[in-house]
Amino acid sequence: MTTLRVPLEGSLYYRGREGQWAYWLHRITGLGTLLFLTIHILDTSTVYFFPDLYQHAIDIYRATPFMLGEIALVFAVIYHGVNGLRIALFDLFPSWWQTDRQRLSFWWVVGLSLLLWLPAAFLMGRSLVVNNFLGG
Amino acid sequence: MTAPAAPRIVAKPRNFETTAWLWMRYSGVLLIPLVWIHVLIQDVLVGVHAIDLDYVALRWATLGWRVYDVALLAFAFAHGMNGLRNVLNDYVRGRRTRRALDIALLVAWLVISAIGAVAIVGGVRPASEQ
Repeated sequence: MTTLRVPLEGSLYYRGREGQWAYWLHRITGLGTLLFLTIHILDTSTVYFFPDLYQHAIDIYRATPFMLGEIALVFAVIYHGVNGLRIALFDLFPSWWQTDRQRLSFWWVVGLSLLLWLPAAFLMGRSLVVNNFLGG
Repeated sequence: MTAPAAPRIVAKPRNFETTAWLWMRYSGVLLIPLVWIHVLIQDVLVGVHAIDLDYVALRWATLGWRVYDVALLAFAFAHGMNGLRNVLNDYVRGRRTRRALDIALLVAWLVISAIGAVAIVGGVRPASEQ
């Protein structure tokens, strides 16, 4: 277990603050998106392999907990993209490599991600309420 | 405001990890429009309540959308699986465990990619129950 515990602790406490939060969010959103993507490839593949099963898969996605998960997924996809773009941009401009600038850039990423996510979350939330609570 | 130190120049070895790193960067930039447009259309504008077999069949009746979905499958899943490999390499120290995980990931990546590709090329088949 020590082989696993040491790097885990190192990841939890490494330097901390914005850089650490950006790193953790990037990791969690990436892994979460991959988990969904794997399931999504397999369930969509039923349209060819087992077409009778596809409607069952869609019915599961229409359930309220899954639609809430879908709203979270959209945030994950937006954050992972915006933060990835931030990392790529910083790599291109070494003159930006200052601690205060990097810390500030994380908040720009969070703000921009929320700005892009909120209209999407509103539309998806409305669809959730209309279809699952007001009977379509 | 401390002035940034001059960037350290290191010799980049042309090995698998360098190629994989570059590849994550390029595919990542490409995936931003590819994934965002897909999510915007299917999840936000159309919505899961409007998606069924007929919808998928209608979408895939356009060759362009099939090409789009193949690109999405290839780039997103490879990017994600290599990302998972990077994460696992941060936490798994044992050489043999790492190798076993790498092989498992490679097999999973190839098999699931193939399943998805066959479905996109094969297209929607009619459901028997109605």
